[in-house]
Amino acid sequence: MITLDPAILNRVLKPARYTGNEWNSVKKDHSTVAVTVALSLPDVYEVGMSNLGLKILYQILNNRTDTAAERVYAPWVDMEAEMRSHNIPLYTLESLKPVAEFDIVGFSLQYEMSYSNVLNMLDLAGIPLLSAQRDENDPLIVGGGPCTFNAEPAADFFDCFILGEGEEIIEDLVEVVAAWKRADKVDGKLGLLKKLAHIEGMYVPSLYDVTYNADNAVAQVVPNCTEAGLVVTKRVVKDLNTVGYATRPVVPYLDIVHNRIMLELFRGCTRGCRFCQAGVLYRPVRERTPETLLKFAKELVASTGYSEISLTSLSSADYSCLPTVVQSLIDEFKDQNVSISLPSLRIDSFSIELAQKLQQVRKSGLTFAPEAGSQRLRDVINKGVTEKNLEDAVGAAFAAGWSSVKLYFMMGLPTETDEDVLGIAKLAYRVLDIYKQVTGRRGAKVTISVACFVPKPHTPFEWFAQDTAAEFERKQRLLKAQLRDRNITFNWHDARTSFLEGAFARGDRRMGQVLLSAWSNGARFDGWSEHFKYNVWIEAFKAAELDPHFYATRERTLDEVMPWDHLSSGATKEFLAREYGQAIGGVLTNDCRHEQCSVCGVCQELDVKVIDWGNKA
Amino acid sequence: MAKLRLEITKGEEIRYISHLDYASAIERAIIRAKLPAAYSEGFNPHMKLSFASALAVGVTSQAEYMDIEFKEDVDLRQGVIRLTAALPLGIMVKSAKYMPAKTPALMAIVNLATYDVTVPCAAGEFVAVEDSIKRYNEDQEVLHTRETPKGRKQIEVKQYMATPISVTWQDNLVKMAIDIKITPTGSIKPGEIVAALVAMFDLKVDKDQALINRTGLYVADDKARVKPTEM
Repeated sequence: MITLDPAILNRVLKPARYTGNEWNSVKKDHSTVAVTVALSLPDVYEVGMSNLGLKILYQILNNRTDTAAERVYAPWVDMEAEMRSHNIPLYTLESLKPVAEFDIVGFSLQYEMSYSNVLNMLDLAGIPLLSAQRDENDPLIVGGGPCTFNAEPAADFFDCFILGEGEEIIEDLVEVVAAWKRADKVDGKLGLLKKLAHIEGMYVPSLYDVTYNADNAVAQVVPNCTEAGLVVTKRVVKDLNTVGYATRPVVPYLDIVHNRIMLELFRGCTRGCRFCQAGVLYRPVRERTPETLLKFAKELVASTGYSEISLTSLSSADYSCLPTVVQSLIDEFKDQNVSISLPSLRIDSFSIELAQKLQQVRKSGLTFAPEAGSQRLRDVINKGVTEKNLEDAVGAAFAAGWSSVKLYFMMGLPTETDEDVLGIAKLAYRVLDIYKQVTGRRGAKVTISVACFVPKPHTPFEWFAQDTAAEFERKQRLLKAQLRDRNITFNWHDARTSFLEGAFARGDRRMGQVLLSAWSNGARFDGWSEHFKYNVWIEAFKAAELDPHFYATRERTLDEVMPWDHLSSGATKEFLAREYGQAIGGVLTNDCRHEQCSVCGVCQELDVKVIDWGNKA
Repeated sequence: MAKLRLEITKGEEIRYISHLDYASAIERAIIRAKLPAAYSEGFNPHMKLSFASALAVGVTSQAEYMDIEFKEDVDLRQGVIRLTAALPLGIMVKSAKYMPAKTPALMAIVNLATYDVTVPCAAGEFVAVEDSIKRYNEDQEVLHTRETPKGRKQIEVKQYMATPISVTWQDNLVKMAIDIKITPTGSIKPGEIVAALVAMFDLKVDKDQALINRTGLYVADDKARVKPTEM
């Protein structure tokens, strides 16, 4: 157990990040369990504690009497400096035991720019960074989350990756590790890895060899032992009503990013936006029943004391029984001052009516995501939203008393022209005009937030060349020049961060060298602009003799072997290629939840079904 | 409307949380305990909860006071049992008492805070430490620079001293008892007094090592110190 010097805690920012003891945290005597698991998200406490997936796994694991699951997050730079100068190893918040003493350390990989923090945390823990350097006495380092569908750039540092949903596979993992420990760690670490490779959805990167062509593209990825399958396919929960949920989440003292109850309505989204990786990875749509949701909500209010419930999912307004669920939640909690919120709104007047019902009087801003500035480009990305939908939604919002609207866009989408970029400005002005029409006054506040598009693996745009940072910056200037009204606020993403994110998103295993050298030269918290060191990364690419443009800004041919082709989300290559073709042609694909199946392959491949309670009623 | 006054603690387990986070933690405990808390009217209703005096990050307390308003009467014993079961480690209810409806706010009546400050100090420094404290106690005026995110401000410290600092010695620890006045125009934090002692009176300790514990909050006059729950 670590003892923390008060002098250190008195010097660092927000010391409560490092002291634990939160309500609902679970402390077990490690001598009474078979397996110990440290669950982590490689970012600061307030970000890590907001992740729903880890809350679910924490509860599922701690419900097992043979397992102790604890939490650890990335210490902020001030605490890291204190830990290094006082030789304090990375420790968990429950037992204050060194992370190196755990059997399993799991990292939730939510975005590529957090990889450097994984290396930093392993180093702070005193755990050898490379999987090849670790033996059966070191913790098993496991990755989960969306990035694992191509975490090849980080593959050298992990022992295995979980593809897909974790509720069931996490128990398989613990059972295999427990059995292996009981059998005196038979056949050492390799023995364990080979057993893990048998678990459906478990990817053990060291059991695969990667070869490259003369042109630097991947030639093939092949298993180097019989235990590893040719392709690893994701795990998927068939019925979300039958698996555990985070009904007793840890309630932090600090104000974290999502400091409220998260009630997950459903998983998956089949709207089919072609840029969206989550839309492919979490297929198919599976709804929880209104009864399950109401039961969870009651348990959550009673166990946490939170007074806000956020109805989460990839697209909450699409939940088939939303009006019923919202009404029953309002009825249930009306005497307890518990408010209900929707994190994202669909662009239609139905959403505005709902928002009105939920917010009652408080009129904070509304957020919509048209994603692109012209109808042509919205058709390319299959964002089934028309100019009229947006006008109606915004008009309804203004009529209902809202006066500030936030609009999310991307730039750098396939086939984009300067005219499309300028369309963003036109839309912003159109929104100001609508406010004037509806209210007869000026003074609406419009915030335009424009991200740089990063093509992601397993999407129809996985072949597409990302814009260069210079091109992004040119388009940003172009748009900025048009947004001169003081009622319009323009936010944009850092082009160079997006460029590196693009390189890592579609990178291959050789980029492990880049990660290692950038980290050793000080890269960490790369998702935080104040800590992002672009030049360190560029130098790291040079040292590894790799070109980030090869990964980020190069158009691939449809027959190129991708570094992630041995990892399957269930959606077929044919489906993705067909969608890419339809995108270039501006042809829409319907939502298979309500209309005909678009044959992505997931339901057939994984033997699952769309579960939509509204359609069944 | 029933007004319940509680004497509660902020223990070692939650030493490093802020006053705002402490208040939120109690608010959530009240919801978990299903106590019938009253809420303010308006667009953004908040629980009717008020404290005597904010406690800084890094400071524990064995006597915090808060008033909570209920929509309906709750049996005192039952209410305390339910709340205790819902409170996190580090917060304990030490006493509870229903107050008359017109009772003035805690913030308006509490005017004295007492603290223990414990800090490691090399053996053999006792004489020097006593000397520093003595000179501080005898000084008429001590100017301390308070730095906040909003800027710097000079504060005269001695006006807030209720009694001279007393000092005792235990193993390699110096223990100071510091009594501070809370006035309508302001007060001073014990941490600031320690900083002033180190900076201006040559107190040979590492101020970051100081463990501060609030030992009491009182309604005091020349004759007596009364706890807010004993009024």
